Amino acid sequence: MPDIPQLDSTISVVTPENISFDYRVAGPFQRLPAYLLDLMLAAVLFLFIQIGLALTLGWLGSGLATGASLIIWFAIFWFYGGIFETWMNGQTPGKRLMGLRVLTVDGTPINGMQAVMRNVLRLADSMPLLSLEVLQIPVPVYVIPTFVLGVAVMAVNRRYQRLGDIVCGTLVVVEEPSWRLSGVAKIDDSRAAQLAEFIPPNFRVSRTLARALASYVDRRRFLSRERRSEIASPLADPLLQQFQLPPDTSPDLLLCSLYLRTFVSNRVEGAPRKRAANDAPFTNAESV
Amino acid sequence: MKVSELLEQRRENWQELERLCLIMESRRRKSLGAATLSRFAALYRAACADLALADAYQLPTNNVQYLHLLVGRAHNQLYRSRKFAFGKWIESLLVDVPQQIFQDRCVQAVFCLFWGVFTLSAVFASSEELWPGFAESIMGEDAISQMEESFSEPIDGRNPDQDFAMAGFYIQHNTGIGLRCFALGIAVVPGIWTTLFNAASLGAAFGFMARPDVPQGVNFFNFVTAHGPFELTAIVLSAGAGLRIGFSWIHTQGWTRSAALRIGAQNAMPIMGAAMVMFFLAALIEGFVSPSGLPLWSKQVVGIVSSGMLMFYFLVLGYPRRA
Repeated sequence: MPDIPQLDSTISVVTPENISFDYRVAGPFQRLPAYLLDLMLAAVLFLFIQIGLALTLGWLGSGLATGASLIIWFAIFWFYGGIFETWMNGQTPGKRLMGLRVLTVDGTPINGMQAVMRNVLRLADSMPLLSLEVLQIPVPVYVIPTFVLGVAVMAVNRRYQRLGDIVCGTLVVVEEPSWRLSGVAKIDDSRAAQLAEFIPPNFRVSRTLARALASYVDRRRFLSRERRSEIASPLADPLLQQFQLPPDTSPDLLLCSLYLRTFVSNRVEGAPRKRAANDAPFTNAESV
Repeated sequence: MKVSELLEQRRENWQELERLCLIMESRRRKSLGAATLSRFAALYRAACADLALADAYQLPTNNVQYLHLLVGRAHNQLYRSRKFAFGKWIESLLVDVPQQIFQDRCVQAVFCLFWGVFTLSAVFASSEELWPGFAESIMGEDAISQMEESFSEPIDGRNPDQDFAMAGFYIQHNTGIGLRCFALGIAVVPGIWTTLFNAASLGAAFGFMARPDVPQGVNFFNFVTAHGPFELTAIVLSAGAGLRIGFSWIHTQGWTRSAALRIGAQNAMPIMGAAMVMFFLAALIEGFVSPSGLPLWSKQVVGIVSSGMLMFYFLVLGYPRRA
């Protein structure tokens, strides 16, 4: 369907069931907070392990505890993300909090190898490393990662993949937190149902018109009355002529009644017997 | 049938699927019975069918979006991440990987570069006359004095405390070097630079410790003999794997750059896998043999046996076979 490149960052994924559904790709500004959260969590985790080691192995000998803590530091530094993304189905705790998930480019979950590799390769994405000595700041921290390479690579591909993602064939998507079945929009103006009676029964709503109607009616509650008729009239005016309805009929009302007829029912219960269109003017002025 | 009737009809199914998704995402997944799981799969397929037909049903856009979310969410629960396939790995590690490594130009190049620079650097550092101040300028005064201090005590197992701390440090440090060479290899120049720099500084450390006037040398070689072969080979392999990925996007062989990058990664993964196994073996030796009070000859035996195993792996298992 959407062959035209879109401005919004969705990609469609074809599943083994041979249907395609859309995902929203996570950009750098959603992934950075998740990464910072993960860094903090890793630091806290390491701190707790340190305390635990000091309380247990520390009794046996400080050297053993130092060795163990160095190895744990190594493991956390390189494999924190990989291990969590393997066991938590493509999420680290930070990604879970931010509602992100790592998938392969074809929409299937990542395997352990991909999870580990994309996290090890983060080092390449963090290039170039900026030395603080350049800024003449005498601090013991030698280098800070700038992530320029990763962001540059993200900017030039449509799926916001960093280098590690391209190598492993993965991408990060947003999982929408709110999901609510809204169903068919409610139209509280009873005159829409009456007007629906005047639409010729043999008029078939085309697919594109149905889509336009649905998106218009979904959004009309956010619009003022004047704006509604301004937006609705280019679509409604030719239809009014076609249906031979009075030209001062409210375009908004016409679209609503078309919506009712397309999506809700051919016959609206409680609709009064057919009157002449001129008797009850469906004009803009009266609609409140 | 009108959309509103259709929605009413489907709503129950979709909401049931929503509820099941929530349960699957939480820890209660294990408590779901087989019947519920198969019900979940059936509901998922039904939702997929609804989404596939959404256009034909003329569903309003917001409902289509809802279906996208629902199907995506259920899809993520149905197809879960595969864990590590250990059985298959072992087979390919013993049969395919050595052959691939034997023929890999990048590994060969890194092998020559690493050992060449390592040897040269060791020779320069081993005597004060050949290149005065070489070891100091490569490694830095601080690192040298730190090394001299950490190897000042003989390694005889009488001070296990310090020995374990040292083992922990070197596992962390050297495996980190390997992973760094691998990760930076993707950007080629930083990768080669890191590899050469580490080759030079490791070589300088070996050379400096081999100087006759450095008393800590005995302890140093006592410590590194056992695990050295595995660890240094693993560093070479991981740097080679990184360079394999890095060169793939330069020499694309007609693919697009990103596709070439993915193919290069597929070729590099097995090499990296072999390197990881070696790092693991080196860590085991480094944790239990190197810092122990075993006599020097037994550590030398370990070093010789592990070198022999590496030779066997690369040359015998890796020698190109005719199909």
